[in-house]
Amino acid sequence: MENHSPCVPGLFEDQGGVHLLGARCVTCGTPYFPRQAACRNPHCGESKMEDCSFSGRGTVWSYSVADFSPPAPFKCDPPFKPYVIAVVDLENGLRIVGQMMNEFEEMKVGALVELVIDTLYHEGDVARTTWKFKPAGGH
Amino acid sequence: MREVVVVGVGMHRFGKTGDSVVGTKSVTELCRHAVDMALADAGVKWKQIEAVSAASSRFSGGKGWGLNGNDVVENVGSTGIPIYNLSAGCAAGGNAFNVGYSMVAGGIYDMMLVVGGEVMPKGMIQTSGVEEATDPEFLRQRCVGIPGPAFWATLARRRMHDYGTTEEQFAKVTVKARKCSVGNPYARFQKEVSIAEVLASPYVSNPLRLFEICPVSNGAAAAIICTREKARQFTAKPITVATSTVATMTFEDALPRGLAGPVPAGASFHTEARGAVLKAFEKAGIGPKEVSFTELQDNTCYYELAFPEEWGLCEPGEAERLLEAGETAPTGRMPINPSGGFVSFGEATTAMGVFQIAETTWQLRGQAGGRQVPDAKVGLTQTLGLGGNATAAILKR
Ligand SMILES: [Zn+2]
Repeated sequence: MENHSPCVPGLFEDQGGVHLLGARCVTCGTPYFPRQAACRNPHCGESKMEDCSFSGRGTVWSYSVADFSPPAPFKCDPPFKPYVIAVVDLENGLRIVGQMMNEFEEMKVGALVELVIDTLYHEGDVARTTWKFKPAGGH
Repeated sequence: MREVVVVGVGMHRFGKTGDSVVGTKSVTELCRHAVDMALADAGVKWKQIEAVSAASSRFSGGKGWGLNGNDVVENVGSTGIPIYNLSAGCAAGGNAFNVGYSMVAGGIYDMMLVVGGEVMPKGMIQTSGVEEATDPEFLRQRCVGIPGPAFWATLARRRMHDYGTTEEQFAKVTVKARKCSVGNPYARFQKEVSIAEVLASPYVSNPLRLFEICPVSNGAAAAIICTREKARQFTAKPITVATSTVATMTFEDALPRGLAGPVPAGASFHTEARGAVLKAFEKAGIGPKEVSFTELQDNTCYYELAFPEEWGLCEPGEAERLLEAGETAPTGRMPINPSGGFVSFGEATTAMGVFQIAETTWQLRGQAGGRQVPDAKVGLTQTLGLGGNATAAILKR
């Protein structure tokens, strides 16, 4: 089995399900990913950050396609293949962007999806991973 | 506050590096052309300019520090005047106009030059280049990979879901924009395109196609502004700046600009653009129904449909119908971008806020030729820039 390693360390764990390492302000409830040292809500009375993790399912708010390769620091295994980018509203209140595992033709606003960890590109014999989405309950 | 007027405007036609229009001209050369034209238009001598408010370019000139105003002043003649170099991404031209306006209105100077120009690098605009886990743009590109146009495509796709907008309707915005550009001597593209040609252009980021997204351009624009009292020496009919505003995005903004944010309770839209425009309506005491035409930042066709609704120029979901009925054309009830817009000019990023002031001035003077909005009395302009920056201005005759 090939070695897996996150493309950027400290953002997620995939032991026993997918966990994005975020935070939430206890006072105002605002979710943050990645973790922040202090709450950014100007209407919040007092910043009280608590580490938390985001996982599970969400609905597609909207989506688009990377028909051409983004500029560096984007990395992929050559040749570049277009992929779908989704903006997903997670059930736990976080709106997050991520690549989709499935094809454009299968996409729909409002579709139920779930978080997965998948390979983004290879560096030598190490697979660099990131979070992506796949249709919930499917594939 | 003193009343501020525009007495002269100038522009260098927009083009692409190496073409017959801009060739290899530097940003300072492009600006010089626009400044000379604005001074001649106003009948003002360079030595009468008391200060300069300039847009800072990240891409060219400015001694690598965005000191583009200093380059212009050295080129036209160093008179020792104060120079303000303003940085606000693609909203920098609008910011430069706002700072000039504010200083003249506030009694600091009686007459100022506002200038913005750009020579853009080829291809997709690079990010900061920083490779640190603390940089949000680095994380966006390394962990996901989001080409710039994908942000607009996401908004366009959502609109298709919300209002049933079709790809043909996005294409029709381009067809309308390019029709306006015919005969506009400053536009980079001056030819009509058919709906079939737009729909045959490749997707840059589905559902948006090449002809529906503005390319990058080189160009420059300049405006001479002064107090109404001072203007009497130069013209009997100056164009009045009813107001100029700046705003930034708010915490409630739920557009996917970073990696993640809270799911909003309500709709998601550009809070900075709406903030600037609504503040402009309030400060000018002019409502959306009194606007004769609008020059808005159409990096993509999507904005021509969404922005008028977000600002109350028309009802939510009504923009497609108005477009198809010809109401957004210069002769319609709600003319949008009679200049041809960014889709016809390409974006010379930091020049755009001043470009809009020049076009609006020509429209209000009745000098806009084939793209003239009949009996234009009030013009609204708006820019949008990286970092959640936005500006608006309302000009009237
Ligand atoms: Zn808080």
